[in-house]
Amino acid sequence: MYPLQAISSEHRRRTSRVSNAFGASAVLTMPACIVIAAGVVLPLAYMLILSVQAPDPGEVELTANFTAANYLKFFTSPFYWSVLLKTIWVASVTTALCAFLGLTLAVSIWLTSSRWRGLCIIAVISPLLVSIVTRAFGWMVVLGDNGLINSLLIHLGIFAAPRHMMFTNFAIIVGLVHVFLPLMTLPILTSLDRVDRNIPEAASSLGAGALTIGVKILLPLVIPGLVSGITMVFSLTMSSYILPALMGGADSGMITTLIYQQFVVTFNWQFGATLVAILLATSLGIVSLLIFETSRRTRKWMVRR
Amino acid sequence: MIAAVQRQAFWIWSAALYVFIMMPLACVILASFNYESIQSVPPAQWSLRWYGEALRNPNFTRGALTSLLVATVATIIATPIGVLGAFGLWKSKSRYKAALDAFFALPIIVPGLVTGISLLIVLTAADQATGNIKLICGHVLIVLPYVIRTTLASLTQFNPSHWEAAETLGATPPQILWKIVLPIIRPGIVAGMIFGFILSFDDVNISLFLVDSRTVTLPISIMSYLQFSFDPSVAAISTILIGITFVSTLLLERLFGLKRIFAGG
Repeated sequence: MYPLQAISSEHRRRTSRVSNAFGASAVLTMPACIVIAAGVVLPLAYMLILSVQAPDPGEVELTANFTAANYLKFFTSPFYWSVLLKTIWVASVTTALCAFLGLTLAVSIWLTSSRWRGLCIIAVISPLLVSIVTRAFGWMVVLGDNGLINSLLIHLGIFAAPRHMMFTNFAIIVGLVHVFLPLMTLPILTSLDRVDRNIPEAASSLGAGALTIGVKILLPLVIPGLVSGITMVFSLTMSSYILPALMGGADSGMITTLIYQQFVVTFNWQFGATLVAILLATSLGIVSLLIFETSRRTRKWMVRR
Repeated sequence: MIAAVQRQAFWIWSAALYVFIMMPLACVILASFNYESIQSVPPAQWSLRWYGEALRNPNFTRGALTSLLVATVATIIATPIGVLGAFGLWKSKSRYKAALDAFFALPIIVPGLVTGISLLIVLTAADQATGNIKLICGHVLIVLPYVIRTTLASLTQFNPSHWEAAETLGATPPQILWKIVLPIIRPGIVAGMIFGFILSFDDVNISLFLVDSRTVTLPISIMSYLQFSFDPSVAAISTILIGITFVSTLLLERLFGLKRIFAGG
């Protein structure tokens, strides 16, 4: 039994510490909040306002005259529609390939013994730290007319002449899959690590084959990781510029190439801002639709009966 | 029997995936030792001459100096801000804690292209035209979220009884933070700094819109060199970069664990 006074002083000390900690934490987080607000949020807002201003080459000041002309220009032109649709197509194919490859890669890491596991993870992650320019250049060396694949296939007598592989959609997708595969593999691996290893063993002892265990037991359990990987890869692919520009040539037909031209070549920054806004809205829309659909479909698994 | 075949097929498939991951980097390294001035893998004649060419190329050396300067200054600015932010988030008992956590991840979530363009617009509107300053503004945003992330990950593993023990012995909260918490979480902070530094040094997405003709970073000078020339000096400079990256990757893995930086788990 504590004396009453001790309890009340203990209580006072605790509440004052809580309020101190709250005040102190607000002060501590302030600089980071200011940097992110000034560096990301405000510029983004400024750009969105710029997208509803009349096009005026080289001018970035905001005026009080708002107009939807830039958006009308985009949505009334079949050319811009086709660029947007091609970007969505490339991003979808890349994401689907990454999901398939990432699932198998994550399972293979999950299955390896702990001695090799660290090495596998380094092998998967280390390309992420190499500049995207270096990786694009690497694919140029592999896929180029005098590159590894062509010289190998000619040497083996499969091709008579070099097959043109660079500056095609194939090259863009191969490069993008290579760049974003680690970002798909890691969240899936994190989900897999939470799976109790007795579960697949139980299934196996009940007679399930490897494929059944993979599709019917592991796949549903890694859905959260898979969805977060898909979200990340899809939105990053939609907004990737360097790889399509280097591997697809000047007219890769992706929306980001068009955006770069508006800002660096034609200086129509208002229309460029409109293109960025449409890009953001499209990837945000598709990603939230995906998250909504998966949570709707998997909701019944969450309910205990 | 069928199970064994399935297992074999799965391991062959996984090995092929590792080959796919490593192939472009391995080819860059092979191509850098070529003697001739066209790219061919494997080289017909081996030499180190393109390393000399690459290190004598003023575009590359100037680019490397700019990148070093920008990445260093950005890391120096972002680290204290990030560590303080992580401390604040860790001590916070506010119900907006989760929202604040998401807010701190914003620079990672918003694509680099969008960050670069919107910064370009705002900095142009504010007449802030110096290349280095523009680049540093962008690169602080690259480093900051990773410093916050790794520091916070170290803090969540900090044993709260250390805090209580120090408090019982009469230490004030700033003393506890400085003398007890900081030394324990130092590996996490250093890992975030190294990681942020590498990402800043390698960045193209944000920098592309913030460089000007006088201030160009190394990855961007490599990129523009690639657009008109295709000799192995790019392979040589890239191999040097891959080497530096590989050493830092091993360092990060020893110091902190790579998977924790990306997946946080």
